[in-house]
Amino acid sequence: MTNEVKTPGTILLVEDDPGDTALMRRGFEKAGVLNPIQHITHGDKALAYLAGVNEYADRTAYPLPVLILLDLKLPGMTGLEILRWVRTQRDLRRIPAVVLTMNEEPDTINAAYDAGANSYLLKPGDRKGIVEMINTIQQYWLRLNEPPQLVMRAQGQE
Amino acid sequence: MLTNKLVLLVEDDPADARLIQRAFDNAKLDIDLTRLTNGDDAVAYLGGKPPYDNRALYPIPAVLLLDIKLPRRSGLEVLSWLRNQHYALKRLPVVILTSSRHSIDVNRAYDLGVNSYLAKPESSADLMRLAETFHSYWMQLNENPDVQN
Repeated sequence: MTNEVKTPGTILLVEDDPGDTALMRRGFEKAGVLNPIQHITHGDKALAYLAGVNEYADRTAYPLPVLILLDLKLPGMTGLEILRWVRTQRDLRRIPAVVLTMNEEPDTINAAYDAGANSYLLKPGDRKGIVEMINTIQQYWLRLNEPPQLVMRAQGQE
Repeated sequence: MLTNKLVLLVEDDPADARLIQRAFDNAKLDIDLTRLTNGDDAVAYLGGKPPYDNRALYPIPAVLLLDIKLPRRSGLEVLSWLRNQHYALKRLPVVILTSSRHSIDVNRAYDLGVNSYLAKPESSADLMRLAETFHSYWMQLNENPDVQN
């Protein structure tokens, strides 16, 4: 049963630019996205979050995301390094990951798909474009797409 | 933005194929839909093997829209074959469109590298909305990889 009402899943937003982050947050608000957003600005911290280690060890406070929105140019590990690592992890490898970047080099686009990106989006330069993009992301990834099952831990379910 | 407007639909059920075609038509979307009816044909088409060896007639699509339950080779086998190619074709965006919501199918598709997994809606109104959202996401918003070389 995929349509039962439950708390909407967490979105992990990995983005170091404060201006872009503010615009995207506004986009999520305008689109009426109820999913909690965890925002991380550093590549190494994004990895720690996904691995559930260090300050992110508490999965109740820092749940596994249902969607990763990933900038490529980050302090510390790059977006592509994070993606490649995620796709090797048994508990994480299925999480849909959408690259969000200003980089429109064909080589980078190809490398992102090779690293396991589900989709590659160019950040629009203006506020209106970002709001529209977030709206489409919501319609597609949060409403239409069937999400994978993430972790099969023994938590008394089934 | 994308110039390739071709969506390759692999769907064996004629009624479903007709409904999907009609949904795209009714939504007045600017796409070309080519349909194949089994997994072996999908592999031959994408691999450029006869009778699909003329790329001018049978171009690589922008997106592969793939059912799971198919004669001869399943959608998941087609997906697995595609992701194991040693050239650019392996990056082709693949969206599963199937009536199965079974988590075993969903999980397997993601494990094999599907880009997205969609369940066929019951009503034609919902199918039309799916066609619109699919179009605005994959044919307008998304930056597709180079799959030609």
